[in-house]
Amino acid sequence: MAEVEETLKRIQSQKGVQGIIIVNAEGIPIKTTLDNSSTVQYAGLIHQLVMKARSTVRDIDPQNDLTFLRIRSKKNEIMIAPESCVEIL
Amino acid sequence: MLTDPQDHLAHQFPLEGELRPTFSGLSDFLHRVEDMIVKELAKNAKSHAFDGFDVNWEDQNETVSCKHRLQHLVAQEKGLHVTSISWSCTGSVIACAFGRVDDGDWSAEKSCVCTWNLDRRGLNPKRPNTVIDVARPVMSLSFHPTSPSLIAGGLYSGEVVVWDTNRTQDPVLAQTGMSTDAHREPVYQVAWVPGQRRGEMLVLSAGSGGRVLLWTVDGGSLVLSAGYALVRQQVPHNSSLSKGRGSSNVGVTSLALSPWDSDTFLVGSEGGLVLKCSFSAQELAAAPPDGESVALRAPAQFSFSPRGGPVHSLHYSPFHRNLFVSVGTDGLARLHSLLQPDPLLSLRVSDSYLFGVRWSPTRPLVFAAATGQGLVQIFDLGRKSLRPAATMDQLTSGQPAYCMEFNPCQTDLLAVGNADGSVNIWHLSTELTEQGHRETAQLEQLANEVAE
Repeated sequence: MAEVEETLKRIQSQKGVQGIIIVNAEGIPIKTTLDNSSTVQYAGLIHQLVMKARSTVRDIDPQNDLTFLRIRSKKNEIMIAPESCVEIL
Repeated sequence: MLTDPQDHLAHQFPLEGELRPTFSGLSDFLHRVEDMIVKELAKNAKSHAFDGFDVNWEDQNETVSCKHRLQHLVAQEKGLHVTSISWSCTGSVIACAFGRVDDGDWSAEKSCVCTWNLDRRGLNPKRPNTVIDVARPVMSLSFHPTSPSLIAGGLYSGEVVVWDTNRTQDPVLAQTGMSTDAHREPVYQVAWVPGQRRGEMLVLSAGSGGRVLLWTVDGGSLVLSAGYALVRQQVPHNSSLSKGRGSSNVGVTSLALSPWDSDTFLVGSEGGLVLKCSFSAQELAAAPPDGESVALRAPAQFSFSPRGGPVHSLHYSPFHRNLFVSVGTDGLARLHSLLQPDPLLSLRVSDSYLFGVRWSPTRPLVFAAATGQGLVQIFDLGRKSLRPAATMDQLTSGQPAYCMEFNPCQTDLLAVGNADGSVNIWHLSTELTEQGHRETAQLEQLANEVAE
């Protein structure tokens, strides 16, 4: 859909953005602006980290939830906006 | 590539990143997170929060120190020089070739190849773990990139040999012998290159006879698989050199394989030429046939501005596909872009000859050069001053340092082979090995400058 492409283009055009990867709940990449091998590598590694970060936040306070995760390294920064998949009953 | 098991109507192969109908929630998700992401990105671009913030995961090593000084007394007594060194693919073993660099005549001196395993306990720097006796001086050496026991060597007589250090009886696995295919002049460079078939490695040899030959290991011999001949008349853009007297062969003194493009390689010659060559060149060489079993081709495609003397060493940058550095007897280290004939930068390293140059495997802006006065000078192109960032004295009482190699696994180790028959293993400081902020970007900037 054009809307999705437009949104991705807007984000990609921000200063300093190297690439965008969108991953589903199982950790499988569904959209990417990077090459295949990097995408697969990032998706696999980041998914586990996000799950761990999320459970850390919720273990400390079950009413709380992870909203954003940033990993800053010497060479770059990875920003992760997770999607909550839990139904609030 | 994702396949959707429920969607039988997809006739074309899904392209990377193409939207699947089942992920209709994607648009809503992006709608929700876009503002947040863009806000964070904008804040990041302006943030000073991490300015000057550095994390040191490892112990800082402040100084450059000489960890080992390896010597083989028998070779030293004979006054042999270390002509070439090579690290094994595992980074634990260093092999050195003994021979002579200054001999003008045909030398029938016996020499050897020694290896030391630096990771083994009880390392005795004066006693190598393996000594392979060779009937002729060895001029070049190269460990196999994946088999830690195979070493290829090029001899003064023009022969190329592959040794297997695992064999107890006779370490020679394969050799060219003195066939019509072999080089007739000293082989100054050997290397392993991937072959056509998967997992196959060929031995590349280049020598002062102007031949670059590719060999396959077949039984106990090295069989010529392809060959190239460098002839003066076929060197591109060289009207000035065609007037030269003497042999029309372009003697090869150094060769560098590109880590970026498996078809390209660089050649440095006795006469100061630096040529860009291609393995897939089709033009036949204008050299008279000499009984070779394979038709020799002319590989040179581009000529860089020549130097005033033999080019002893060339090295491609591991961080930028278009950059390489070359050194020779004029004492200058020249930084070149593959895209233009003139150098981007010419650094005066020494008043003496330069014999070796190597880029740092971890710092894009750093390279080391070995001088004829027995010093290794390390340069950091990120510094404002063009004076060396570090000087390592090889303690050879002024005799030259001939060759250098960084350890492929422990990248803060640099081995230097000297004319007095010793090999020094240096441990570099963290400053020289840890990549700084934006180094790759600075290198990119350097590469894009057009030479005046």
